[in-house]
Amino acid sequence: MSTHNKRIIAASLATATCSLLGTSVVAPVQAQEDPGWDFNTALLYYGESDGRVQDVSLNVLARRAFVDDRFLTLGLAVDTLTGATPSGALAYDGPQTFTRPSGLATYTTPANQTPLDDSFLDTRVALTAGWQQPFARLYSFNVGLSASKEYDYLHLGANLGLSRDFNKRNTTLSLGVAFSQDDLEPVGGAPLPLSAMLDVGDLSNRSGDQSKDVTDLVLGLTQVINRDLLVQLNYSFSKSTGYLNDPYKFLSVVDGSTGDPISRTPAPGDSGPLHEYRFESRPDERSKHSVYGQAKYNMSGKVLDLSYRYMSDDWDIDSHTLEARYRWPFGDRRYLEPHVRYYTQSAAEFYRIGLVDGATPPRFASSDYRLGDFDAMTVGLKYGWKTRSDNDMSIRLEYYTQDGSAPSDQIIGNQAGRVLYPDLDAIIAQFSYRF
Amino acid sequence: MSNSITLRYRVMALCLSTVLGGCTSLGVEPWERDELAREDMQLVTDPVEAGLDDHIYFSKEASSGGRGFGGGGCGCN
Repeated sequence: MSTHNKRIIAASLATATCSLLGTSVVAPVQAQEDPGWDFNTALLYYGESDGRVQDVSLNVLARRAFVDDRFLTLGLAVDTLTGATPSGALAYDGPQTFTRPSGLATYTTPANQTPLDDSFLDTRVALTAGWQQPFARLYSFNVGLSASKEYDYLHLGANLGLSRDFNKRNTTLSLGVAFSQDDLEPVGGAPLPLSAMLDVGDLSNRSGDQSKDVTDLVLGLTQVINRDLLVQLNYSFSKSTGYLNDPYKFLSVVDGSTGDPISRTPAPGDSGPLHEYRFESRPDERSKHSVYGQAKYNMSGKVLDLSYRYMSDDWDIDSHTLEARYRWPFGDRRYLEPHVRYYTQSAAEFYRIGLVDGATPPRFASSDYRLGDFDAMTVGLKYGWKTRSDNDMSIRLEYYTQDGSAPSDQIIGNQAGRVLYPDLDAIIAQFSYRF
Repeated sequence: MSNSITLRYRVMALCLSTVLGGCTSLGVEPWERDELAREDMQLVTDPVEAGLDDHIYFSKEASSGGRGFGGGGCGCN
């Protein structure tokens, strides 16, 4: 692509980013005067089986190098989401009718199927802007802003990082902090925690807009071991406060001996759910601690990339993530890169597959499968090549699967023969072009 | 400042100096960085792909971040 075209794209991206962030457009003026942009673009398809979530994502990351190792980075991502996602209700031998999140209509799930909310439709636009530069010979700092908008969600964030080199720049210590403030405007209003799903038109259990704040801290150590080996060790802390529920997820209310959902009759003349359901309730605080280690090892031109992450939070979730990539060049301009990722997590202490009718309701309860006990595996392959004009292209294809289980001490009566955890299979396909 | 907090800071400073002291025997000379400078030897070789993966796993799992800040900023989780 010509330098002129690169300048036009860079200027447009900078204008779009700065408009959303509410800052004046300063950078493009410099950009047009001094070329040197690097564009990293990707088109991604993520598709789950059984008509669940489909995402098409277009991404552009533009990086402008200035003299003295100073960099401006601008990013744009547009996601188009469609499909259905598990609502949290249990599968049952008969059909189940639910009130839609809007509170204005109903939908019905056939017998023996995991109830899915099929009103999942959204477009997400995300923008990022970052600046990085060295100072005082051995130090470097970076600042960044991020913003994203969905139909029912607005995210605004800022981050700041500082690093210092030691030992002939073989050791780098870094510290980063990030703050974000997210506003939720759930369709139909946020349901009150543990309130019952009501008839169509009855919005008496809905509250107004909600918000949450997230503070992240990352402390990192990067060390060159020798000419072929580089390692990194990070400690991260993340604190979320505010509205941490998923406003569209709810639990079935079941009979204490049969495990079947409790029947319900809508008010005369109204339509509504034919069984009892209650909206989920999560704590309004969450603290996560993570330790992350990564090693890059060069083996005569082939590169092995290994990483491990341990995470533990005060919702009683522990997780382990192991990931390996192996870049295997062949010829002068091509490479293959197999990728394997294994993930396992324990359930949140308040994870429940359903609520028992008549029992004292717990303070917190969620049947969101992402808070359950499950293992996940990703296997994939990437093929990359350099074009005649020395630009990078790659395609990757990956398969992601989740395999979970319901806690055995929560399974009641007839539930034993039903699907209680919605396993997941997904395909990830990506085309990348860097120029 | 209480004695316990002073002690905690001293222990942290000792750990940090031990780590950094241990690191001095590791590493390479500036002219030996040829392999490490290669694009495929960077900790993050493709930032867009890394961001996309963070976003996917953030929206499907209860964990996020580690390598950097969590892949938040969306209503997907």
